[in-house]
Amino acid sequence: MAAADVTAGATREATTTPQATRSAVIVGGNRIPFARTGGAYVKSSNQDMLTAALEGLVARFGLQDERIGEVAAGAVLKHSRDFNLTREAVLGSALSPETPAYDLQQACATGLETVIGLSNKIKLGQIDSAIAGGVDSASDAPIAVSEGLREILLDLNRAKTPVQKLKIIGRIRPKDLAPDAPNTGEPRTGLSMGEHQALTTAQWKIAREAQDELAFNSHRNLAAAYERGFFDDLITPYRGLSRDSNLRADTTLEKLATLKPVFGKNLGSEATMTAGNSTPLTDGASTVLLATEEWADSHGLPKLATVLDGEAAAVDFVHGKDGLLMAPVFAVPRLLARHGLTFEDIDFFEIHEAFAGTVLSTLAAWEDEEFGRTRLGLDGALGKVDRAKLNVNGSSLAAGHPFAATGGRIVASLAKMLHEKGAVDGRPARGLISVCAAGGQGVVAILEAA
Amino acid sequence: MTDPQPVILGELPSLSKLYVNAAATAARRRVLGASTGKTRLPAVSHEVRNIRAEVENLTAYQHLVGETASDILPAGFVHALAFPVSMSVMNRDDFPLPLLGMIHLKNRVEQRVPIQFTESLDIRSWAANLAGHRAGTQLDIVAEVRSTSSGDLLWRGVSTYLAKGVFLPGIDKAGNPNGASMAGDFSPPDPTALWQLGLETGRSYATVSGDFNPIHLSVLSAKALGLRGSIAHGMYLASRALADVGAVKSESFAWDVAFEAPVFLPARVALDIATVQGNSGTWERSTYVAWNPRTGRRHFVGSVSHLP
Repeated sequence: MAAADVTAGATREATTTPQATRSAVIVGGNRIPFARTGGAYVKSSNQDMLTAALEGLVARFGLQDERIGEVAAGAVLKHSRDFNLTREAVLGSALSPETPAYDLQQACATGLETVIGLSNKIKLGQIDSAIAGGVDSASDAPIAVSEGLREILLDLNRAKTPVQKLKIIGRIRPKDLAPDAPNTGEPRTGLSMGEHQALTTAQWKIAREAQDELAFNSHRNLAAAYERGFFDDLITPYRGLSRDSNLRADTTLEKLATLKPVFGKNLGSEATMTAGNSTPLTDGASTVLLATEEWADSHGLPKLATVLDGEAAAVDFVHGKDGLLMAPVFAVPRLLARHGLTFEDIDFFEIHEAFAGTVLSTLAAWEDEEFGRTRLGLDGALGKVDRAKLNVNGSSLAAGHPFAATGGRIVASLAKMLHEKGAVDGRPARGLISVCAAGGQGVVAILEAA
Repeated sequence: MTDPQPVILGELPSLSKLYVNAAATAARRRVLGASTGKTRLPAVSHEVRNIRAEVENLTAYQHLVGETASDILPAGFVHALAFPVSMSVMNRDDFPLPLLGMIHLKNRVEQRVPIQFTESLDIRSWAANLAGHRAGTQLDIVAEVRSTSSGDLLWRGVSTYLAKGVFLPGIDKAGNPNGASMAGDFSPPDPTALWQLGLETGRSYATVSGDFNPIHLSVLSAKALGLRGSIAHGMYLASRALADVGAVKSESFAWDVAFEAPVFLPARVALDIATVQGNSGTWERSTYVAWNPRTGRRHFVGSVSHLP
C-alpha cells in the first residue's frame, strides 16, 4: 500500500516537472500577389506558384543552400500528380535539396494548420527552422474523367490479353467522355459553400448593407496598406502582377449596392450575398518562415512575432445544427480560455472573409447572450469585437482567397502588424486569427509580438 | 390473411422477364377486357432460399445512393434483393390488380438485425390488406428476410401500392386517404441538402437494383406508359435519404417513407433532415422531407426511428 503510494507520487512528480518549452517565432513571410481565376496565373500550376513564393522567401532571407528543418504546405484543389507537391517545390527552389517536406490538407485552413503544426515541432525541439505555406489554383484545377470512364480505364489497365482489352474499350459510351470538374459543393449536402453561408447569413439576420460595408472596408484597408508600402517586404511580384488583382481601390458602397444576389436565391429568405461581398475564385501562393529565437538570431534575421497557440473545431452542419462555416465560433472561446484571455486582450482580429456574411455571423454569435450560454457554455455572450481592430489591412474579400494560401497571407501580415505595434500596456501586442473551412471545420490561432 | 401457403421458387425470378410478362398480360387484358375477374389476393407466398448479395453490385448500389461501402447490407439494398420475389407474386395469374402502372404509395422497412453481405438469406413475399382507396384499390406487399442458418427474422418490408382507377367489386372505395393528403398546406423549410438528379438517375438505379420498370428508364419509355417523362425510383430517393441520415441511427431501426409528387428527371430536390433526441440525449429518430425547390411541391416525407 505504502509502496504503491510512493510509486504513484513519483510518477505524478515526473509528469508535472515543467518542460523547458521553446518559442516558435515568425521571421517573416512571402507571397505572390493573388490573381483572379483565369487571370495572370491562368497557366501556372500549383507547383509553379508555390515555388515562386518559396523562391521569394529564400531571396528575402538569404536561405540559399540552407537546410531548413521541415517545409509543410498544401493545396485544396490538387492534381493526383502533385502527391509530393511541397517536396517538389523545395527541389525546384534554392533551398538545400536535403530539406524535408510534407503536404497537408485541411481545406481552407490548410495554410494556418501548417503554421501551427510546424511551430509545435519547433516548440518540442524537433526542428529549429521551418517554412509553412499553401497554394491554390482555381484556373489550373484538376479535371477528372467520368466515373464510368475511370472504371473502364482501370479495368483496361488490369486486362491481360488484346481480346480482353478490346472488349473493355468497347464499353466506352459517349456519356463517359464528359469530364468531372471540381466544384465547391459540400459532398454530404450538395449545397455550395455560398448556399450554406446564405442559410447562416439569414439565420443570423445579417443585412445586405452590413455585408457590403464589410466588403468596402476590406478593399479600402487593403488599398491603404499597399499605398503606405505595408506589403513591400511581404510580396514578390509574379507574372506581371505586383498587387492582388481582385483589389478595387475605387469601389464604393453605391457600386456594391448595385450588385445582384448570387447565393441563397432559392432558400425562401431574402437573398443578400453578392459577388461583391463574397470572395472570388483566386490563384496564389504564400509562405511563412518560422524558427527558434536562437536560429533567427544566429542567422541575423528578424523576430516579428511568436505563435502562442492554436485550436481547431468542427461543427455538425450536415443536418443544419450549425452553419457550415461557424466552427471558429467554438474554437476561439476554447483557445482564449486556455490562456485566460478575453477580447480585451486582443489588439488585432484577423477573421478570414470567406464571405462578409461569415464574418458578421461569427461576430453576431459571439455577441449573442443566449448562444454564449447554451452553445458556448459561458455565463453570457463571449464578447464584442472592436471593429477598429478587425482586418485593419484588408482581408480575403479584397485580396482574394486561393484556399490554402490564405493562412500564410494572414500569419505573415499579422506578424508584421504585431511587430510594428510592439507592446500594449506593458504586454506584447496580440492578434487572433480565425479561418473557417469546408466540412464544417475551423482553425484559429493567437500570435504575440516578439 | 393468415399464414399464406409457401411456394418455393428454385432461384430469384428475373425482373426483366417479369416486366415483359406483365406487359404481355396488360396487352392481353386490354384486348380481352379490363378486369382480371379476381377480387381476392392469392393465398400463397413466394419464397427463395439461400440467396447471397453479389458484392460488386452491393458496392455499386452503396456508391450510387451515398452509403459508405461497408460490409453491412443497406436496408434499401435488401428491398432490392427481395423485390423480384415480390414482383413474382404480383405477376401471378390469380393476382387481382394490373402490375404495370401501380403507384408506390408508401414503404416501411424494419431492419431488426444488421445483415453481413456474406450471410445466406431466405426471402419470402406475399400480398395482404387489399383495400379501397379514394383513387382506386390499394394493397400491401410484405417481404420477410430471414437468416438461412438460424431462421431468425432480420428484415421486414411492407410496400403499399395503388392500382389507380381500378375498383374491384365488393371492396369499398373507402375514404382512407393513406398518408399523401397533407401536401396542400406544406411550406418548405430551409433545406439541409440539395440533390442534383440527372436524366440517367433512373437507369443508374435500375442497373444496381434490377428494377427496369420502363417509367424510370427514359423519356420515351415513360411516355409509352402515359407519363410526361421518366421519374426517379421512389426507393432510390428513400435510400438516399436513409444514407443522408447516416451513422447516427441505431443498429435496429424502422425506415418509413410516404411518396407524394413524383420526381421527374432531371431534377433538383431540396431536403430537410432533422434529428429528434430522447431525454438522455441519445438518437431517437431522424425525420426527412423532400420537395421541389422551384415549385415547393412535396416529393416525399419519412423517418428513420429507433427500433427497440
